Amino acid sequence: MGYAIVQVLNALSFSALLLLTGLGLSVVLSLMNFVNLAHGAFYLLGSYVAVLWLASGAPWWLAFPAAFLAAALAGALLERFPFRRFYARPHLMQVLLTYGISVILADLMRWGFGAQILTPELPAALRGVVFLFDMPFPLYRLFLIGVGAVLGLLLWLLLDRTLWGAALRAAVTDRGIVETLGIDTRRLFAAVLVLSAGLGGLSGALGAGMLAAYPGLDEEVLILALITVVVGGLGSFGGTVAGALVVGFALTFSKVWFPEFANVVAFSAMAGFLLLRPHGFVAPPLRQV
Amino acid sequence: MRRALLSRAAPMAAALLALALPAALAGPFHLRFLAEILLLGTAVMSLDLLVGSGGLVSLGHAALFGTAAYAAAVAALHLGGNLLLVLGAGTGAALLLAALMGVAIMRSSHLFLLILTLLLGQIAWEVAFHWRAVTGGADGLRGLPPLSLGPWRLDGPRALFLLAGGLALAAHALARSFVAAPIGRALVGAREQPLRMSALGYSTARIRLRAMLAAGGIAGAAGSLYPFLNLYVGPQSVHWSLSATMIIMLVIGGVGSLWGAFLGSAVYLALQTYVSAYTDRWQLFVGVIFVLIVLLLPHGLAGAAARWRRG
Repeated sequence: MGYAIVQVLNALSFSALLLLTGLGLSVVLSLMNFVNLAHGAFYLLGSYVAVLWLASGAPWWLAFPAAFLAAALAGALLERFPFRRFYARPHLMQVLLTYGISVILADLMRWGFGAQILTPELPAALRGVVFLFDMPFPLYRLFLIGVGAVLGLLLWLLLDRTLWGAALRAAVTDRGIVETLGIDTRRLFAAVLVLSAGLGGLSGALGAGMLAAYPGLDEEVLILALITVVVGGLGSFGGTVAGALVVGFALTFSKVWFPEFANVVAFSAMAGFLLLRPHGFVAPPLRQV
Repeated sequence: MRRALLSRAAPMAAALLALALPAALAGPFHLRFLAEILLLGTAVMSLDLLVGSGGLVSLGHAALFGTAAYAAAVAALHLGGNLLLVLGAGTGAALLLAALMGVAIMRSSHLFLLILTLLLGQIAWEVAFHWRAVTGGADGLRGLPPLSLGPWRLDGPRALFLLAGGLALAAHALARSFVAAPIGRALVGAREQPLRMSALGYSTARIRLRAMLAAGGIAGAAGSLYPFLNLYVGPQSVHWSLSATMIIMLVIGGVGSLWGAFLGSAVYLALQTYVSAYTDRWQLFVGVIFVLIVLLLPHGLAGAAARWRRG
């Protein structure tokens, strides 16, 4: 019983991390129709910033805003040039451009932060384990589940329940009409990309306590986040939540049940899911013309 | 008539010259290097059939290439390095996997197709990495017997280079005729107007399956010779990062031009070999060059060459 609950919590904490990373990707993809493969680089940048911040002795809880700001700044610069020119291009060109950017960023980070594995020094408040049904469980993972749920909720409120979110969704549907109302849609889209990059950095800071930070992690996280978004179905908030749960549980429980061939089983499950539902979990109704 | 003949004969003569010159002049290191360019270029060209004609961006192409490499290496280890046997085993294995992939991608498109091919490719990588008894796991397979055809041993760098060159020429001819044939036209049609094509009675799924089989067969033939360049095959040849590298090569060379694939693989491998001798930051170079090409030359080097020739 205790063992099963601990594994479920493990899966939930991984899902929370996937949700945060996936949401950053999904917001840009669903709202701006822009595929950003540099998102993994934003994540890793956030991880490095958090690791360095926690080692520096400054107040620990400021590490998360710092990572958010660092990645958001990188996002703002890249949005100016060259992302902005590619919003109206086909997906293939966006994939190529952002993949090239991610290769450059990955090598710059290897240059700046070194090639070794960096693990953060967690503050005393987040270290240690709690006992659930006599089974030890890392406190940090509970923190991750909580933060993931709260941030996901906040983002949903922002996009679905505020005037700003309404303007944004309107700009996606009909950009021309929104511009005639006197709203600068270019700034709107820039703000979304900066928000998404910041979310990537924040999830990197949170994930550092679980996955550490090393070169190559950016690609691993990017792939998992992409799978999350795609399995969930593009363009829906609920879909990304469902995708994060599917991927998180599939990866965690395949490790429990089939330790030798864990990834084969998990990937097969996800591929099978995409075979049965070629447009993901929540598919918006599309009319073919 | 004469002009048409000339415009057909000239590239052929140039290609033959490009193969004959290095075979006569280059040293063993450069011959092996050129053979690698030709083999990877052939695989990239087969990817161009999917991406350029069909708009099917696959991130699982290395799985076809690498599976063929493993099948060829295993066949050679157990049954000896007969060229025809090796080619048959590798191409057959790749065709099998391509059939599986072709069935899987029948209903998917865009990002979903990208992720689905990535997942299928990574499953192949996991098998290559963990099935130690057959694939050697992370160490890969070493100590392969040299290639042979009847009484001739094909293990010198010059023989390998000519073999790779012959394969590249044959594959290019095959790919060209595929693009020009009705199936190639239908593939372009299924990309541009899927609804109209199905209204005309074409089955998009069947077109995709046949394109995947053609691409898989060519990639498999190139992959089955690949292990014999260094008498080694490792799990890196199946990993998705090689698929991504193939896409980079394709874009540098030019999507949709077929011969650009060889140009792209030559530029990429030259950067990797020569820039990495001077600096550890060669990936930065590749990234910057790649981004510049995407920004400035969306049709790649081959597209730029075609525009320059037209004036």
